[in-house]
Amino acid sequence: MTAESATSAPSPNGGRPGHEEVLTGLRRHARQLVDELAGPVRRVRLRSGDTVLEVEWHDPVGAVPAPRPAALAPAPVAPPPVAAGPVADGRSVVRSPMVGTFYRAPEPGAAPFVAVGDLVRPGQVIGIVEAMKLMNEVTADRAGRVIELLVGDGQPVEYDQPLVAVETL
Amino acid sequence: MFEKVLIANRGEIALRVLRACRELGIRTVVVYSSADADSLPVRLADEAVRIGPPASRRSYLNAAAIVEAARRTGAQAVHPGYGFLSEDADFAEICADNGLTFIGPPPQVMSALGDKSTARALMLEAGLPLPPGSVQTLPTVEAAAEVAAGIGYPVIVKAAAGGGGRGMTVVRRPADLARAYARTRAAAQAVFGDDRVYVERYLTDARHVEVQVLCDAHGAGVHLGTRDCSVQRRHQKLVEEAPAPGLSAATLDAIAATALRGVLGVGFTGAGTVEFLVDDEERFHFLEINCRIQVEHPVTEMITGVDLVHEQLHVAAGVPLRLRQSDVRPHGVAVECRINVEDPARGFAPTPGRLTRFTPPGGPFTRVDTHGHVGYVVGPHYDSLLAKVAVWGPDRTLALDRLERALDEFDVDGPGVRTTIPFVRRVLDDPTFRKAAHTTALVDRLLAASAPAPPPPPPRAAGRPCRPAAVAAAPPAARPAPRSDSLDHQPGRTR
Repeated sequence: MTAESATSAPSPNGGRPGHEEVLTGLRRHARQLVDELAGPVRRVRLRSGDTVLEVEWHDPVGAVPAPRPAALAPAPVAPPPVAAGPVADGRSVVRSPMVGTFYRAPEPGAAPFVAVGDLVRPGQVIGIVEAMKLMNEVTADRAGRVIELLVGDGQPVEYDQPLVAVETL
Repeated sequence: MFEKVLIANRGEIALRVLRACRELGIRTVVVYSSADADSLPVRLADEAVRIGPPASRRSYLNAAAIVEAARRTGAQAVHPGYGFLSEDADFAEICADNGLTFIGPPPQVMSALGDKSTARALMLEAGLPLPPGSVQTLPTVEAAAEVAAGIGYPVIVKAAAGGGGRGMTVVRRPADLARAYARTRAAAQAVFGDDRVYVERYLTDARHVEVQVLCDAHGAGVHLGTRDCSVQRRHQKLVEEAPAPGLSAATLDAIAATALRGVLGVGFTGAGTVEFLVDDEERFHFLEINCRIQVEHPVTEMITGVDLVHEQLHVAAGVPLRLRQSDVRPHGVAVECRINVEDPARGFAPTPGRLTRFTPPGGPFTRVDTHGHVGYVVGPHYDSLLAKVAVWGPDRTLALDRLERALDEFDVDGPGVRTTIPFVRRVLDDPTFRKAAHTTALVDRLLAASAPAPPPPPPRAAGRPCRPAAVAAAPPAARPAPRSDSLDHQPGRTR
């Protein structure tokens, strides 16, 4: 998968950041991303004209880092799938990796990612949490059958909030 | 005035800001991490939003999650408290980009002053006296050695991006410079992502004196007098008082006026602090400017009667300053001590745990800012400040006696929990401190003296015997202090 962040934010001093300044920020940002995200990195690309930073992984991590001015404090990077605690016998929940708005479908009018009764496999996308105009995929961490959708489409969610209940098989 | 403010912090300062909002009729949103779900600020807030796991990198330092929480709750402004994102110019910009008022100075002012080397250059221009040293950062060890030789040892190597007492190394001999220079640069790179350093004279027997300033967005400003924060361990303050004692009125006035001139010259707004070192001849040298409310702000509030957080809110809402300099009439003396959950007998190592007893002091002219309560779990994720005890008295002697009385009452305990109360009592008992003849060397001298022994409990009248709280009974361990430089005090160190 690929995470890309593009920005043309002015630097704090009001002017455009210098090429060197941007590159330094990108380098730091890249290092942070590589540290924070699971999986072996395949490729890192930095560019300073219009500020592009691209990191490519071998494995899907179900996360897209948010765009931000180069050299910014931490951005929300989805963690590896949140450990789902059993709620009751054979039931587990998929939780929100961040604060945002939960969407059950990839876009308005499209079919939802999952419906009650669907079988899901580990790593399958069950919904999206939008935060700061960025879509973050939420994935199941284990195989199972969807037994309940706990949050409606377009509803605000908090970090760690249960989104979908899954009956483990 | 704002209708709703988001508090992007935790612990005692989140509670402090929440109280100010309540008093002004402002609704509050508290954002919190999983570790703080049961905390007092979360319980008292009008609304609370869980923004992430305990690690502050993903919660209290997570700008996107905080802005998202503000947008969802309709908060119009963000109060960052101290630490975390309080002096992060990028965060202030992100707030502005999202139509939120960041309660603090403009981002460009913050980023200029946040860089110590830029701040030094700006203050030099404004006519403030600097300690001898380099205005520019020093790219090579040779350049650093040349500056150090020119000003004479001991010197201190400081990270331009440092702050909060982190990112500095004292060098006493030329032979040690190369290592200290390399180490400070490496540590600054690791902690701040910026390895630029500069060198200045290290004043050993000096006082740390700071000035509280308050400026509105219309070019007006006042100072609220001085504070002395010379009682420090590794650049972390333990006891603070206002006004700074033992200095002539002329010196105090000159420091305060100079500080105000400096901040007004760079377009500062809101509440800020200008820090100085004052030598034994009462010459003062500019150190740095903090663009946030400070931990020790209560002592200034107690001698001036001005609520600094109220003022921060008014200024951020665009209200012209209602105070004129002639309205600021400091009265009496206030002293505060920080109660940290640390073991003074073991190099001040943090001692997280559950509080099974917690009764803070009360009584006349005694203020306790704390988020602690019985059953509260002091976690390992954030800094160890549990409470601030501040008292006021008509003169310094009475204020110190009152603080000792208050500390006698403080009952706090829990399995494995230790506090800095016994050590603070040693400071208050120290004759040099009592005479206000102490310098920043005081704590090191106390620590170098004997192993800490709890002072004998004061004689007391009949009544419930009150144990001195959590007297450190553990034998001094052979283990040295956890880390050997002062770059470690990052809130949210996760381990």
